[in-house]
Amino acid sequence: MKVTVYKALARGVLLESLRRKDLWVVAILGFLILVGASALGFFGVQGLQVFVKDLAVTVLGAFSTIVAVLTSTRMLPEEIKQRTLYPLLSRPISRLDLLVGKLLGAIVVTWMSFLILAALTALALAGFQVAFEPIMLQYMIAKMMGLGLVCALGLTFSVYMTPSAAATSALIFTFGSTIIVRALTSGYESATPAMQVVFKLLNAILPQFTLFDLGSRAANVGWSPVPLWVMGFLLGYWVLYTGGLLAISWARFQKKAI
Amino acid sequence: MQEAILVEDLRVRYRSKKGKLVDAVQGLSFRVEPGEVVGFLGPNGAGKSSTLKALMGFVAPTSGTCEVFGLPAGSLEAKKRIGYLPEVAMYYPYLTPIETLVLYGELQGLRGRNLKEEAFQLLEVVGLRGSERKLNKNLSKGMLQRVGIAQSLLGKPDLLILDEVTSGLDPVGRKELRLLLKERQREGATLFFSSHELAEVDMLCDRILLINKGRMVEEREMAPLKDGLRNYSVTFTGPIPMHDLTQDMETLPDGSIQARFSDKQKLLSALNRVNESDGKLLDVVSREGSLEEYFIQTIEAA
Repeated sequence: MKVTVYKALARGVLLESLRRKDLWVVAILGFLILVGASALGFFGVQGLQVFVKDLAVTVLGAFSTIVAVLTSTRMLPEEIKQRTLYPLLSRPISRLDLLVGKLLGAIVVTWMSFLILAALTALALAGFQVAFEPIMLQYMIAKMMGLGLVCALGLTFSVYMTPSAAATSALIFTFGSTIIVRALTSGYESATPAMQVVFKLLNAILPQFTLFDLGSRAANVGWSPVPLWVMGFLLGYWVLYTGGLLAISWARFQKKAI
Repeated sequence: MQEAILVEDLRVRYRSKKGKLVDAVQGLSFRVEPGEVVGFLGPNGAGKSSTLKALMGFVAPTSGTCEVFGLPAGSLEAKKRIGYLPEVAMYYPYLTPIETLVLYGELQGLRGRNLKEEAFQLLEVVGLRGSERKLNKNLSKGMLQRVGIAQSLLGKPDLLILDEVTSGLDPVGRKELRLLLKERQREGATLFFSSHELAEVDMLCDRILLINKGRMVEEREMAPLKDGLRNYSVTFTGPIPMHDLTQDMETLPDGSIQARFSDKQKLLSALNRVNESDGKLLDVVSREGSLEEYFIQTIEAA
């Protein structure tokens, strides 16, 4: 029963996104990657495989993160603004069901965008005779989990904030994750004992998006894949944090007068 | 028998965008029996939509009871038995009417071929056959309202809660809707709807609830109300005393006298007097009273 509900809601998000031509934008971006890569080839940087791979995974990560943020932060506010939420919630589904269905829809849209971009990037890399190594597959799997987490964060912010504030905050959190973690780590030594506890707590609580980014590892030629237990840990971390963020969204959304 | 709707001492308070507390509904109580058609009337801001939202569980009542078929309003079990049409019908702009109905049908627990057949059938009933594959964003306001009506009828719900049901519909659409709702009532459904179209209320309702400023103003059965609103006029010639029956008399240009009555008994007495005298009865007219006038007067008095 619940699976059908989630499937129906997610399909709605996907259909809307397809017809709104969101994925076309992604395809155009992907095309630009291809053109960019060809240009690099034209200027004679063949052989700089690490540079090209690094550039490719950075662009791939950035574009797909933007898609994840924009899709997840605007879903609920649009439902409220367009009043489409009323006929939805008049059905025998709970508000938690609605959040889960919408999150799944955002994840599907983001993953599709990511896979389109990844396919085009792989095509571009093939032009530089870059082989598709197992670490690339691990990079993709980890990135997709990370993007799922970005969607959960975006959805959570959208329940508490205006759409633009939610999108800005989600972008700061995801792209600034490395800086935030670095600041916490470097500031830890010089902090007072009380602040050290706070830093430790923050470091433990804040979602660590960098964990899901195997881009640097994937960019280097001949690097071995990460052990499977690492992927298992990432999966557990993803499920735990996505569940946690969903719970935080639900805590607010279940009481929200619409 | 279990009431279709039971509302007791309902209060809904919310914070406005300016941060001010607003008492949208203030101690409202009413019941709707199964199979009834009840119109929920009131001026703008009277608390109609807030009450309907409380019935759907969209807003939590500040206090009071709100039940649907004995189930707490907003519960999943209660919602399984309700078809709801929101005040302003908006549907996903990038979905088609048939996709919209299938989506809501699946959320309602309907499946597969039966759902598709019912969806197509409902689109036919509301006059949208042929437009089922157009995107909602390309439909007119009236057509969107028809999509809304169709989605509210999915799964043949026991209770239809319709907020401003005729909004955006042309006269033909209104007539079709009236017939459709009457058919659903014959099939046993309960109808509870708000509307500003008093003509629709007049033609559809068994009973009306009139609210203002979140409070009940009047609760009336339609048949006696319409009888009470009916007025009559008698036109006659001759010196016949009528002043004890009505003060509302007028001498017409041809010299005849027209006397107007709101009480049927007084009309009959007047007719007797004309018959028993040397006067001549020229005309007797019975007019339906204006529900609109009743509405305005009652609200103003409240």
